[in-house]
Amino acid sequence: MNDSRKMRFDLVFLLSALALSAQIGHAEDMEHPLSEHDYLDEMPRVLTVSRLKQSVADSPSAVTVIDRETIRASGAVDLPELFRLVPGMYVGANAGFVYNTNHAVSYHGMTNAYPGNMQVLVNGRSVYTPLFGGVKWSELPVALMDIERIEVTRGPNAASYGANAFFATINIITQNPTEVSGSTALLTHGNGRNEAFYRHAGRVDGFAYRATVGYRQDDGFDRRDDFKRTRFLNAQTDYQVGLNDNLEFEIGLTDGERGDGTVEDLILRPHSTQVTDYHGLVRWKHRLSDTSDLQVQAYHSRERTDDTVTSASLKDYFLGEAAQETNPVKKATLTAIATHLGIDNLIINNDVVSERSDIEAQHTFTVGDSLRAVWGGSIRQDTMYAPLYLGTKKTDAFDLQRIFGHLEWRPNRMWTANAGAMLEHNDFTGTDLSPRASLNFKPSPDHTIRLGVSSALRTPNYIEKKFDWKYTAPLVAAPYTAIMQQKIADDGYVDAERIVSREIGYLGKFGGMHMDVRLFSDRLMGMIKDRDRVITAPVGVLLLNRQLNGSFVADSSANSGDAMAEGIELQTDWKLSADTRFLFNYAFVHIRETQASLKRNFTKSMPEHSLSMMLTHRFDENWDGTFAYYQVGKTTQLGDGDPVDLVRKSDLRIARKFKQANLGGEVSFVVENLFNSHYLEFADYNEAKRRARINLKLDF
Amino acid sequence: MAQAFTGITIVMSAPTQTNKAFVEEFKHELVNSNNAAYKVKVVDLGESEKLSVAENSDLVIALGVKALEVSSKLKPSTPVLGVFTPLPVFNDIMGKSDRMLGNFSAIVLDQPYSRQMALVKTMLPESKNLGVLLGSTSLQYGEGLKDEGEKTGLHVNTENLAQESDLIPKLNQVLQANDALLAVPDPVIYSRETVQPILLTSYRYQKPVFGFSQSYVKAGALAAVYSTTAQLAKQAVELANKSQQSQNLLPPPQVPKYFSVSINQQVARALNIPFISEDAAVKKMLQME
Repeated sequence: MNDSRKMRFDLVFLLSALALSAQIGHAEDMEHPLSEHDYLDEMPRVLTVSRLKQSVADSPSAVTVIDRETIRASGAVDLPELFRLVPGMYVGANAGFVYNTNHAVSYHGMTNAYPGNMQVLVNGRSVYTPLFGGVKWSELPVALMDIERIEVTRGPNAASYGANAFFATINIITQNPTEVSGSTALLTHGNGRNEAFYRHAGRVDGFAYRATVGYRQDDGFDRRDDFKRTRFLNAQTDYQVGLNDNLEFEIGLTDGERGDGTVEDLILRPHSTQVTDYHGLVRWKHRLSDTSDLQVQAYHSRERTDDTVTSASLKDYFLGEAAQETNPVKKATLTAIATHLGIDNLIINNDVVSERSDIEAQHTFTVGDSLRAVWGGSIRQDTMYAPLYLGTKKTDAFDLQRIFGHLEWRPNRMWTANAGAMLEHNDFTGTDLSPRASLNFKPSPDHTIRLGVSSALRTPNYIEKKFDWKYTAPLVAAPYTAIMQQKIADDGYVDAERIVSREIGYLGKFGGMHMDVRLFSDRLMGMIKDRDRVITAPVGVLLLNRQLNGSFVADSSANSGDAMAEGIELQTDWKLSADTRFLFNYAFVHIRETQASLKRNFTKSMPEHSLSMMLTHRFDENWDGTFAYYQVGKTTQLGDGDPVDLVRKSDLRIARKFKQANLGGEVSFVVENLFNSHYLEFADYNEAKRRARINLKLDF
Repeated sequence: MAQAFTGITIVMSAPTQTNKAFVEEFKHELVNSNNAAYKVKVVDLGESEKLSVAENSDLVIALGVKALEVSSKLKPSTPVLGVFTPLPVFNDIMGKSDRMLGNFSAIVLDQPYSRQMALVKTMLPESKNLGVLLGSTSLQYGEGLKDEGEKTGLHVNTENLAQESDLIPKLNQVLQANDALLAVPDPVIYSRETVQPILLTSYRYQKPVFGFSQSYVKAGALAAVYSTTAQLAKQAVELANKSQQSQNLLPPPQVPKYFSVSINQQVARALNIPFISEDAAVKKMLQME
């Protein structure tokens, strides 16, 4: 017995020497907590080849990542506001007179109220609307607190993201349900703004789920009919099936009311519309082997706007016009119209229903240590019902098919070559190929030089291709039975815009500072611009359109004119200390026409200079603060935009975390436009003022 | 003590591939060690729980926890060497049996922490802070880990989990504050169900995970120290030969003497970690030992 004690002592000595102090002599007879299975059994493969992304140093493009911490520190409540932190990007709140409540977000110019030259994906689902081409940001069923990160690929990237990855691609990725747990509530109250969100997430064995419901209320700008009330639900699940498969589901629902129209429009008067959107997505990830994965995803989305609008009194309008008219013939005509109108107020059905069904498969694989490839294909159908804009109650269908491939070759540590291409066929512009290639040179792990050339197409959207937007009112004055104004009459002869972008990039790490510089030259070809189209009056219809050389003309679109966008972008992320971080972004973008005359103010549709900076500091365990500054040069934006001056905006955020037993959280106070500069954004009708709000976040 | 020679009996908890491979490697190593005196008999517990055949063996090698538990009930005069057994379980079993050191030992699955720290330093020479999540099973190792970290210039920060629902928040805390996560076996923390949240979250933070098994590396951990079946078999043969020379007396439990390193090169590349081959990593670690 003595012997044994001694031996046990030796064992303890041995174990502590190995830092494995052991507890000896448990008496209870229980199941062993560990066994060889913990060490030897197969595990589900998580970071498979398709989940692992290229490191930024190997990437063929410049990438801006907005992570959770940056989103939190920014104090933003509206998703598109975050893009002010992307060099070369322009953000204009509540632009335009249709879909008033939406931000215009664009990159490298050509900005109108509905910029459609970026691809925008939420968890792999394309959300740009084919009607105008932009994104209805305020309708996305995404809470900022659910976003894991936003990756912005600056520069065309059709080979990876499809045709509309023209100037840039925004990829919004929400947290995987496995990465969240428990309940969170977030309440916001401030000037013209109230929000409430609730999230619950959990996991049952291999099945993880997250559901978020939210309510947003925003009164918009002072002089605008741009209020919005939005309710939404978003739910995601991730089911780990065996060792090699994952099944993911996602659903989203949005509904709410929005202000729309303007007093300046005779027909689309200020009124409210109702939006109802939903989507469902299923994704299957299958590991074929250690070096290859298959992913198949399918989704369906539907966006519906219920919108019935009553015009102002047509009679009053024509009488008013007549009173101002000096030409006696025209004056008499206008007076006659006013007195012979069959109705006084037009009631317009401006319902819009668009649906998208998409199925995509992709195969990712590696060959040896140096080759990595992804290829795949997708089929999509968009349908569009928009009786006012398309001039028909028929639903239009738009089909798109594409195949794509991308190859990354790393012959050694110093070099990475990327090449890829996409072949797309669609109903609007036929078949096109968009190739790309780049070469990254890494003389040391901290420095990368990148040379790249990439091309992409922008497929025209409905407003450029198929609009037949007209207003008709009955008239009782033989031989006329109606008056008509044709706003847009597309002839359909419009092709895709093409971009060829060349760039030299540099990525460097100097101690705690990461730097990304990009010199770019975008050659833009066949830019779509407005064109007058001669129209003729149907029998018995009195056309009110403007005239050119004795003919009636309406707006149409045509490819006309080339341009160059050139400049430099700088992005730095500097960790000044463990508690202090400084982000600085700057862009110089110069646009010039190289052929024909482009749209009005085309070259002014991007501020020449824009910068953003954000300083965050953690004062102690609980307190932290952010000061952000944004400066945007003067612009004259296209479509519904006006000349506006330099914008200077400063935001301040102070936050305090707290933790008590099972309740944790944060209180934060945000002041946007701290110095209350009454700047104009996008157009003279949007005047920003200081706004403050308080947020309470509870985790339980 | 002396008894009739009957050879070595290998007891398998189940006829798994690993266990069968061990038997093959063991026989192979035995031949290599020029020991022709031993005969090797194999018993599969899955087929018969009766271990009487193993009584009076010169040495019983128990593969897996179940085999070790059953073998611990053999006559104390029959020496038992556990293989594929975690150390805390070995201690548990010995505590519950009439066994004593000398006739009961193991080559445990646990790699020494010094070796794990050496791996961290080999893969991430600039790392300073190493995060560790501890549960009720692994809680006892916290201090030892910290001490071993100090020696390698790594500050080991531990977070204790009271229950599984703490996993995500604690994981976030650890990943925020450290350069990497070192996984220490604990059934509440590292299971088949939690491997996805752990690896996805760490990847989101762009922080590598050091696993404790080859499977964890295949799943997406950056690297792990482990011993191959052949390496464990080689050590077992050495022990068998030694005990044969010392009247079947077994040395105290040992950590694996020979080891390998498994690196997920795809993960390394995605995390922008400079390339190092598995062999080169082992060499570098041996220099550090």
